[in-house]
Amino acid sequence: MSRTVLLTGLGTVGAFGCGGESLERALAEGTPSLSEVDRSAGYHLPEGARLACLVTVSLSEWLSPAEGRRMSPPSKLAVAASRMALRGAGLDSGSEGSEATAVFLSTAFGPSSNSEGMLKQIFLEGPEAVSPFLFTESVANAPAAQIAIANRARGPSVTVCQREAGPLLAVSQAAAAVASGRAERAFAGAVDEVSPLLHALLDRFGALARSGPDGDEIARPFDRRRCGFLAGEGATVLLLESAESVAARGAQAIARVLSWGSAFDPTAPVSDWGKGHDVLARGLRKCLGRAGIEPQAVDRIVSGASGSRAGDRLEALTLREALCGGNSPGGPGLPPVLTPKAVTGEYGGGLLGAAVLAAAGARFGATPGFAEPDPELDVVPHDGSALPPPSTVLVSSLAAGGAGAWLLLGAP
Amino acid sequence: MSDVVATPQRIKRLIVESLHLEGVKPEMIEDEAPLFGEGLGLDSVDALELVVALEKEFGIKIKSQELGREVFSSVSSLSEFIEGRT
Amino acid sequence: MTHAGKNGPRVAVTGLGAVSGLGWGAEALWAGLRAGRTAIRLFERFDHSGHRTHLAAEAPEPPAGAVRDLPGGSRLSLADRFALFAALEAVAQAGLGASLANEEAGVYFGSSTGGMFESERFFSTFLGERRRYARLSSLAAQQVNSPGDAIARHLRITGPVQTVSSACASGALALGAALDAVRSGEVEMAVAGGSDSLCQLTYAGFNALRSVDERPCRPFRASREGMSFGEGAAVLVLERLDRALARGVEPLAVLDGAGASCDAYHMTAPEPTGTGAAAAMDQALRDAGLPPEAIDFVNAHATGTPLNDAAEWRALTQVFGERAAALPVTATKALIGHLLGSSGAIEAVATVLSLRHGELHPVPRAEEAQTGVDPELPVALVLDRPLSLEARTAVSTSLAFGGSNAALVFSRWATGQAA
Repeated sequence: MSRTVLLTGLGTVGAFGCGGESLERALAEGTPSLSEVDRSAGYHLPEGARLACLVTVSLSEWLSPAEGRRMSPPSKLAVAASRMALRGAGLDSGSEGSEATAVFLSTAFGPSSNSEGMLKQIFLEGPEAVSPFLFTESVANAPAAQIAIANRARGPSVTVCQREAGPLLAVSQAAAAVASGRAERAFAGAVDEVSPLLHALLDRFGALARSGPDGDEIARPFDRRRCGFLAGEGATVLLLESAESVAARGAQAIARVLSWGSAFDPTAPVSDWGKGHDVLARGLRKCLGRAGIEPQAVDRIVSGASGSRAGDRLEALTLREALCGGNSPGGPGLPPVLTPKAVTGEYGGGLLGAAVLAAAGARFGATPGFAEPDPELDVVPHDGSALPPPSTVLVSSLAAGGAGAWLLLGAP
Repeated sequence: MSDVVATPQRIKRLIVESLHLEGVKPEMIEDEAPLFGEGLGLDSVDALELVVALEKEFGIKIKSQELGREVFSSVSSLSEFIEGRT
Repeated sequence: MTHAGKNGPRVAVTGLGAVSGLGWGAEALWAGLRAGRTAIRLFERFDHSGHRTHLAAEAPEPPAGAVRDLPGGSRLSLADRFALFAALEAVAQAGLGASLANEEAGVYFGSSTGGMFESERFFSTFLGERRRYARLSSLAAQQVNSPGDAIARHLRITGPVQTVSSACASGALALGAALDAVRSGEVEMAVAGGSDSLCQLTYAGFNALRSVDERPCRPFRASREGMSFGEGAAVLVLERLDRALARGVEPLAVLDGAGASCDAYHMTAPEPTGTGAAAAMDQALRDAGLPPEAIDFVNAHATGTPLNDAAEWRALTQVFGERAAALPVTATKALIGHLLGSSGAIEAVATVLSLRHGELHPVPRAEEAQTGVDPELPVALVLDRPLSLEARTAVSTSLAFGGSNAALVFSRWATGQAA
């Protein structure tokens, strides 16, 4: 790592609305915005989950209908978020663009509604009925390509697909590119859409929280009764810049990227979480070590815990192993733990947006859905009380399939 | 008066629907107006999308070699091409 | 020869693995390439009678025992199996054991469609009327990160594992990420590459764009009409040159530089002046600390589409100036087709093999009388028979759908070369 990497812009859209202020409000209130998923295609099980964090807000302020004419839903979300980030950074979107501006975007499932449309055409009408529009925008890198076109970003363009670890990996790669001089600026973030088909399949795999005797569908991060996550769609795009680039235009930064890291748990079954918290903890400590940061110096955690039974367990054990010197009782406790996916849902980059807001000192409300600690995990997420602004924020997200990624944010 | 919609009208409706041209009404497209480059400003991917729509609408198959500029230059030229094939 | 590159310690390729239409294994790949044998033909992976074209370079049946014993069994997709075979081949060549648990190792992978071929079985039933007969387990390995994850699981890797899915640039971008990771010390060893199998989604998709030639593709030829499909995987093991030598392992080549850019122009058409592709090549050269004059041949992206090949020629003229028309060019896709997400990786393997063998592979002898290149793009394409060339350095390009470009610079490591 050589050059200082600063974060100067945040663009975000989700069920909570459009823009950082909307997300901040939702996180302060501590309530997810849930909508009924369209079940008319018959993909869903009768007893299955019915709700998701869906985008209902208009993007017209950021993207004209003419521009978005052929775009997939994720492309529209991503372009809108990239423009928000640029504006937030005080940059002019009408500028010529640059070879020194890169795009690093992650997506877990890509423009899945486009793929679905194509598959239906292939199997119900025949392969020659496939729509060129649908194919062009079905590739995982379509949103990143559209961000590049909209912003004339002619530097490296990389789409990362690593499930729940993707967003932090994308930001890590962007930070590495800026730190090493491969780019001066980078759009970095995540996008996903939750189509009815995807929602139904996630539910059929048992991943989603269902309603039960405790009430409606709700994510309960780290709670003893947790039974799955809320599916969420949206896009979050950050603007990262070298310190030189920020200073040259006399701008202000929101935060500084101190370090990043990732690791893999080979005990993870395909598309599931494993039991290798020791190797993941080692990866987390390496991430801290690269920036010379002691575990005790972390004073806020923005955790990717989502309400998943196995995922939250692994996250808790990993955090405790890395930061509390093991999982024995009586050791040092964890700093305040925020679990924004209980508000934003899983996928769509809500975690990233929340992490940036946390680093900027935003207020977080009580964790929705949490009431009963799980004794095996012994992690109690934030109760909504006032917290001092943090100096070192650890962002963490573990993917189904084994990957884990971390990011450290500090003051600019 | 015939109940059958004339080919140019069917093509115009297809252009608007299959290419998602919001704000454009079929009757706003002139028979001789250029479709690609200038005029409606459509590009190569629009042309291919229109081809798939035309194949479905008229029950024909259009070969790749036939996708030349002249056939697709206007609604009139397209209409001539299709009527020659159906 | 110094171990220090311009941007950190030099990074060696110490193992290669490949699966393609020419067979299972890097040797099978090289034997087919140098013989100018095309693997593009009528295929059996799925019923293509309803598709617009009917050819592909399909991987043959695996050699006995090659993939049957891989753990994970039926949950592994074909793309997973290709990836695992190639990874095990590469790791063995690098003199490493069956487990990399004790190494600081990572996986940097690329894929366009992951296990989509197997998932299509699910979707064909689930999206139709026989929904209740659809088996969810066919979806298990659908994700594009599945092949890379499968390698990490099998080799018990605990370092960084990430998959890139940037269409045709995925494999090359993965290798670039691996290069940076080894240089920076984030890992000591990288297992890098890509894997993709044929599937109906991409087969129908590229055909919908009329980008596919009904005949085997003819890159840079005047008669070219589009791409051909291929499938397979390729893996390269990367580690610091000094570490490889200290281990007593013979480097196969040195990955001296990587560059990447984006056309930011159009979703499907390349920017016609080739400026974006040229920028990726220039960056790779700068990263390697080498001038354009140092390059002895180009393993071109060369899909055979009218627009790609034209733009790529323009890019070559921007980077190499007057030398462009004399610089030997190999077009690997003419023999193994376009492997989409793993094309950059398998073409990197082909580039390394060319450097090792001092030979550039030809394209298959064309049937028509005129086999020369399009006079509008006068590349020095290796035609008809292999070209003996003791090349020292080469560049491999990947110019993707959506405008993402990547370039890699490889240098030869001569057997017995002094440290």
